[in-house]
Amino acid sequence: MTEFLIANMAPVMFLGLVVFLLMGYSVAFALAACGLFFGFLGVHLGMLPEALMHALPLRIIGILKNDTLLAIPFFTFMGLILERSGMAEDLLDTIGQLFGPIRGGLAYATIFVGAMLAATTGVVAASVISMGLISLPIMLRYGYDRQLASGVIAASGTLAQIIPPSLVLIVIADQLGRSVGDLYAGAFLPGFILTMLYVGWVFTVSMLRPAAAPALPPEARTIREDDGSSGNRSLLALTVLSVGAAIVFAQLRPEGAPKDETIVVSMCVGIGVAFGLAVLNRFLKLGLLSRMAERVTFVLIPPLALIFLVLGTIFIGIATPTEGGAMGAVGALAMAISRRRLTVKLTKQAMDATLKLSSFVLFILLGATVFSLTFNAVDGHLWVEHLLTGLPGGQIGFLIIVNILVFLLAFFLDFFELAFIIIPLLAPVADKMGIDLVWFGILMAVNMQTSFMHPPFGFALFYLRSVAPHSKYLDRITKKEIAPVTTGQIYWGAVPFVVIQVVMVGILIAFPQLVMGNLDKRQAVDLDTIQLEAAPSDWGLKDEEEAKPDKEGEGKQDEDPAAALLRDMANEAKAKK
Amino acid sequence: MKFLLQFSRLIDAISEAVGRAAIWLVLIAVLISAGNAVIRKAFNVSSNAFLEIQWYLFAAMFLLGAGYTMLRQGHVKIDVILGRFSKRTQIKVEIFGIVCFLFPFVIQVIRLSWPLVTQAYVSGEMSENAGGLIRWPVYALIPVGFALLGLQGVSELIKRIGFLAGQCPDPTQPIQNKTAEEELAEEIRKRQVDPEVVSMVEAADAMVADKRVKEVRP
Repeated sequence: MTEFLIANMAPVMFLGLVVFLLMGYSVAFALAACGLFFGFLGVHLGMLPEALMHALPLRIIGILKNDTLLAIPFFTFMGLILERSGMAEDLLDTIGQLFGPIRGGLAYATIFVGAMLAATTGVVAASVISMGLISLPIMLRYGYDRQLASGVIAASGTLAQIIPPSLVLIVIADQLGRSVGDLYAGAFLPGFILTMLYVGWVFTVSMLRPAAAPALPPEARTIREDDGSSGNRSLLALTVLSVGAAIVFAQLRPEGAPKDETIVVSMCVGIGVAFGLAVLNRFLKLGLLSRMAERVTFVLIPPLALIFLVLGTIFIGIATPTEGGAMGAVGALAMAISRRRLTVKLTKQAMDATLKLSSFVLFILLGATVFSLTFNAVDGHLWVEHLLTGLPGGQIGFLIIVNILVFLLAFFLDFFELAFIIIPLLAPVADKMGIDLVWFGILMAVNMQTSFMHPPFGFALFYLRSVAPHSKYLDRITKKEIAPVTTGQIYWGAVPFVVIQVVMVGILIAFPQLVMGNLDKRQAVDLDTIQLEAAPSDWGLKDEEEAKPDKEGEGKQDEDPAAALLRDMANEAKAKK
Repeated sequence: MKFLLQFSRLIDAISEAVGRAAIWLVLIAVLISAGNAVIRKAFNVSSNAFLEIQWYLFAAMFLLGAGYTMLRQGHVKIDVILGRFSKRTQIKVEIFGIVCFLFPFVIQVIRLSWPLVTQAYVSGEMSENAGGLIRWPVYALIPVGFALLGLQGVSELIKRIGFLAGQCPDPTQPIQNKTAEEELAEEIRKRQVDPEVVSMVEAADAMVADKRVKEVRP
């Protein structure tokens, strides 16, 4: 028995983890308990050095010092303030009006706003609740297919997981030891393509079954000119004008200016032009813009400005993700104040929720640290590697199997658990097989997005269920009785989008350049920031970097001489055994 | 039992008070980090003290908040299987979890981190960066945070035993009346003074009651 245990400690420990987790007590403590239990068992059996757990405090201090993780409370706080600022409602109302009159328009509006919210608030629950309360009743009123309507809302809400500034990407970046900026840049195109796939699906449905996604009747428009016209022509003119301004500005940039910087700055100029014109028009009462054009401008500009403030500065490289998160949080506060939505109560609630989220996430990480300390000491990493490198098909075979595994686990685990437990096990193997870790991380992120949509435990579905009508009600406008949305409809509605997600994983496996193209370009053009990018997982400030050579990426927990000593001691003891 | 339940209420009050104070660290950290970023870009000055205070605050935030998070049932569980069992079984498993999972973790971390704190205090260890901060306060946050967590664990244990003995209400019911998500939903409904939406409130309230049973997650 003892011999069997010693020979198979790693698999036994892994099984033990599954049992501990499924028992249903808090994940963080189950992880830690699993690590401690098998650690002591190992020491007792003479497999492991007595000093095994002595490395723990230094590991914990390494986590405290981690600059990347600091972005988690910042982005969470930003999202929580924004979700209550009324931005989502304004966006949904206005964009719904803009797209509504075309077939499938309300669904397109939902996807578009979902992507906008993903790039700003990044909170799945908030997006789904807002869309479920505002867009769903309108879609039901005009006879949208219930499965399509609920599926689109749930799926668009989960875009927050893949579109930067997503928390998942921060956690994955930390676990992979790559910079958050790289993961954000890598996620940009996949997030966009995924959004387009959603749009494509809605388009297909609306073409095959026009009744599933009808256009809004003319009388449903609330934003229109006095003469009854839509005012879209004026909006088009404004769009052309601002895009033109951006292009002209981009052409005027000096030769050799970094391309990404040019893109970001030019977009800012274009947006600035549109905003300036709309403000001028309003205050001078010029009457040049239609109501629709003005409304759209005023609704779209603040979130766009925030996106550029946060993501733009991170992409160009003038801010670290942590700083970007802090700036975004201040921006969100400013926006909430300008909309007169910021109260002490709301701020406290946001701080409270941020505190709890940070605490539970970081404690899962602490628990996972204890687990991995023991798991690596019993050579669990070698076991996993042996298990996975033996798979047929090389890189592709590995990726396919791993993705199937994560897809199945996503039915039961949510992304924080997946990121902290599964990724550290898989990443070293992927790295050894020559798989780019940013590519791998994005694949995992797209895959883990399904954990929100899997019936019956997916959170997006859960939140949609909580706000969708449970009983039949009388519609205010049409005076028709509207049937409730059943749970089955919500579950089945999510299925096509889960399939799209799987397709997207397939696309990414087939075309890695979708992720890496962005990175290569940055590196090729950005010669002067290469230095910054060369230090993985440390988006420390450029000028601080010279001052603090000890903060270099991977060495974090090993930098302490005491830690190195302990490690050596552990190795010696192991060698002796 | 009565005495123990009183003790548990005292612990809850402590966790609550610490949590209420700790939430302000979020705002302070945001303001310092944003201010530091702007000043660094605009005037090209930066101080290591300001960079380090950020992670000190972060550490304080999640370590001191751990007990409070437990009080509010914020530590996520996988209740796929456990959720199918009776309330009493669930409570018994949680008692097992507190005693066999939580306590050993807390005790080990305190035991292992304490020498580090005293050592740093005695030697007056400073940051290795110029103008950096003194280290022992942030090291001390580890045992203090875990002690608060363990203390809250004791309170949760008492409440669960009390429940099994029929002497106190179900401790797994959230203390707050509404979750953040419910508040958001309510606010949107209020702003959209739509009769149709209002009519849904009733249905949603039914859902709220239903949801209480489930677990609160962000």
